[in-house]
Amino acid sequence: MSQREKLLSKLILIISVFIMLAGSVWLNYSSADYILKIGVYSGSYWGTPNSDSYRILDQAAARFEELHPNIKVEYVSGIVSDEYSEWLAEQILKGTEPDLYFVLPEDFSLLASAGALADLSDMIKADSQFDPDSYYAPCLEAGRYNGIQYALPQESVPTIMFVNKTLLEEKGIDFPESDWTWDDFYDICQKVTDVENHIYGVYGYTWLNALYSNGFSLFSEDSSQCRLLDSRVLDAIRFVRRITELNQGYTVTARDFDIGNVAFRPFLYSEYRGYQPYPWRVKVYTGFEWDGIPMPAGEWGGNYSELHTMLLGVSARTRHSEAAREFAKMLSSDTELQQDMMRDSSGISPLKAVAESPETVAFMKENIPGGIIFDKESIHEIMSSAVSIPYFSKYEQAMTMADTAVSEMIANGPVNEDELLRIQRDINRFLKK
Amino acid sequence: MNNDRNLNLTVLHMYYLNFVTVVFYSLVSNATAFRIARHFQAYEFLSEAGVIPNHPWRMPVQTILLFAALLCVSVTKNVFHHDSPVVRFCFILAEIILCIGIIEGLNFYYSGIALVVLADLVNYMENNGRRIILMIVLASVFVIGRYDIIPLAADRIAFASWLSYYSQPVRTSISLMESILVSANIIMFVYYMVMLFTSQKAENERIVSLNEQLKEANRKLREFALELERMAEIRERNRLAREIHDTLGHTLTGIIMGSEASLALFEDSPEESKKRIEAVTRSARDGLNDVRASIKALRPDSLQKQGLEITLREMIAKFQKTTNVAVIYEQFAGKLEFAVDEEDTLYRIIQECMTNAVRHGHADVIQICLRRHDDILTVDIRDNGSGCQTVTEGFGLRHMQERLDLLSGSLTYGNRADDPNDGKKGFYVIASLPVRRRQQEE
Repeated sequence: MSQREKLLSKLILIISVFIMLAGSVWLNYSSADYILKIGVYSGSYWGTPNSDSYRILDQAAARFEELHPNIKVEYVSGIVSDEYSEWLAEQILKGTEPDLYFVLPEDFSLLASAGALADLSDMIKADSQFDPDSYYAPCLEAGRYNGIQYALPQESVPTIMFVNKTLLEEKGIDFPESDWTWDDFYDICQKVTDVENHIYGVYGYTWLNALYSNGFSLFSEDSSQCRLLDSRVLDAIRFVRRITELNQGYTVTARDFDIGNVAFRPFLYSEYRGYQPYPWRVKVYTGFEWDGIPMPAGEWGGNYSELHTMLLGVSARTRHSEAAREFAKMLSSDTELQQDMMRDSSGISPLKAVAESPETVAFMKENIPGGIIFDKESIHEIMSSAVSIPYFSKYEQAMTMADTAVSEMIANGPVNEDELLRIQRDINRFLKK
Repeated sequence: MNNDRNLNLTVLHMYYLNFVTVVFYSLVSNATAFRIARHFQAYEFLSEAGVIPNHPWRMPVQTILLFAALLCVSVTKNVFHHDSPVVRFCFILAEIILCIGIIEGLNFYYSGIALVVLADLVNYMENNGRRIILMIVLASVFVIGRYDIIPLAADRIAFASWLSYYSQPVRTSISLMESILVSANIIMFVYYMVMLFTSQKAENERIVSLNEQLKEANRKLREFALELERMAEIRERNRLAREIHDTLGHTLTGIIMGSEASLALFEDSPEESKKRIEAVTRSARDGLNDVRASIKALRPDSLQKQGLEITLREMIAKFQKTTNVAVIYEQFAGKLEFAVDEEDTLYRIIQECMTNAVRHGHADVIQICLRRHDDILTVDIRDNGSGCQTVTEGFGLRHMQERLDLLSGSLTYGNRADDPNDGKKGFYVIASLPVRRRQQEE
């Protein structure tokens, strides 16, 4: 028995030593200097050249390290934006993802639904310095999934309409006003279209573009209903069908636009920003003069467009959640950094104070020759009314179901309400599952 | 004992097997994760899986640490064999919690570890009711703790998702290995249970047979005790014979010789003859005194000292103790104070009847009832034994009869198979005798 007791006491001793060791390691670990890892892509995500993509991040890191001397900010450089999603997925798979990372618009839904992103709602509520109203509502909305804020906006890019000025001039058509409507749009397309000579009105204008400018979205706020048969949706579908019918069965391609045979094409604002300045302008489209204006307004809506937003997310598994959130907040809401970003990048700051600041307006005027269209008011208008798609768990699949059917209907006609009702029923059944 | 060792060895082998299984699952999911990352298919994989996997190190670290802890608890519980129910309960609870921890660590891919813990604990548990509760708990853990059932696992990556990354032949061989490991565990569990139940059945049979043997030995022991008593009786009889020979024989010889001599002298010398007769008379009286002394010496000691009442009770108590037979003694005869020969007779009859009931009737209940009507005392002795087909002399009934005849008493006896009162077989003896008040001895 005494031998057993000895063995038992030895066991207890070993266990307590182990616990003490683990405790001290933990204490040491939590208090000591540590590295905050950031996931970032190089270059510009928006497909436009960017001279020094890490400048803003370096600047932010230096300021952050000054505020927190025990934290060192690090990132892996050289991951181009095309490979960024895969790189991030690999890091997540290996459990080595950064504490804080940029989230590309198309990855947000997956990362949020898979549970890779931390819920930031608490931080937003608890932080008195953080004012949600300082953002354009659609930008903040872009980081929301199932109603929960998973990411903060870093920069946003709305969709605008590219106009082939040369073609309009040739046809003797006036350049449209920036508050133009569907009717104006249709008129111009009708006038321009000359099927025999391969001249067409528009390339790449979808029923969703029309829908957003009609001030509506396909799914209800609580994401339980698909609203295909709403008159605003039907209007949008019918309108795009009418526009398509002008082409008399011909499918317009990107090349047609590139060679100057198409009057309109929806584009990202970043392209406009990126290619307007002198050297680029010449390189992209050589055959014609072009400019951008807001999307044409629908009967029920306005000159609204879809907004693409680069987001900042905090890893759900990070050990330095506090620091990561703070750094994300800094990158997203610091006016000084955001102002700098406006200068470097081709997006628009999600902060109202930055996007509409005199400095921004002056900079734009100076750098963009045709920048008259995008003055303070129109930026405010575009950004405030832009549509950020409210992501939810079944969004992708439900949207694919609707888009496949409607696109088919638009391409081959006619717009059949019975068929749409059937699709709506299918989607609603899927949403309820 | 050998069986116990075999059982423990089986459990230990089950532990080995499950360790291999745990390592297998960790290895497959981790190796696959890194392989996917190396082949630039991570994004595609995540899109399909829809959830992010745990840190790769978590599964091996958590499961192997908890497994080591489980093994420690299991070994400790067997080495420090504790009887305190609280300590035992703690061991059992610790094993169940560790088992659930391992299953969770394995993303609920595999719940067979619950069977090992069940095998480990089922023999440890001694109470049958608790054993059933334990079986229900662990069987539930085994059945419910599966990836496709548990709701907790909804945000985990399915094992099938990892496998889906591989080409068909690789997937098949991994599935085959998984199937072998899982099935081997179940087979070993079934083997263990079969072994446990057969060993318990053998143990039960052994206990039953030992019990039989013990009963037989007890019965023999009781018979030996009675035999011993009988031997003592025989010795006593021999002593009595000697006594009679020595005293009565001697006196009677003297009387015969004295009376013959006085007869011969009667004609010639009546005076002398008279003297001789006087001597003979004296000798006879002496002889009578001697006989009385002898009889007195023959009485049981306590009868002489404590009286019939106490002696009877003591004798019955002693008899109950030695033979383990229940004796119901009822005394309605008032004060038991009679003449010495009467007391002796009563004592001997009761003693003999009790002995007979056990020796020949194998009874386990004997009822003795004493009643008195005026001067007639009745002793009624009955038992629940097997009775007796033919009454033989060895039963001492003749002695009883003779004793009672001397005191003008009567004796009846027989089987009480026809007794309507309790319908039980058995033997009865009813002795009655007229009693005198105790006389002052001369």
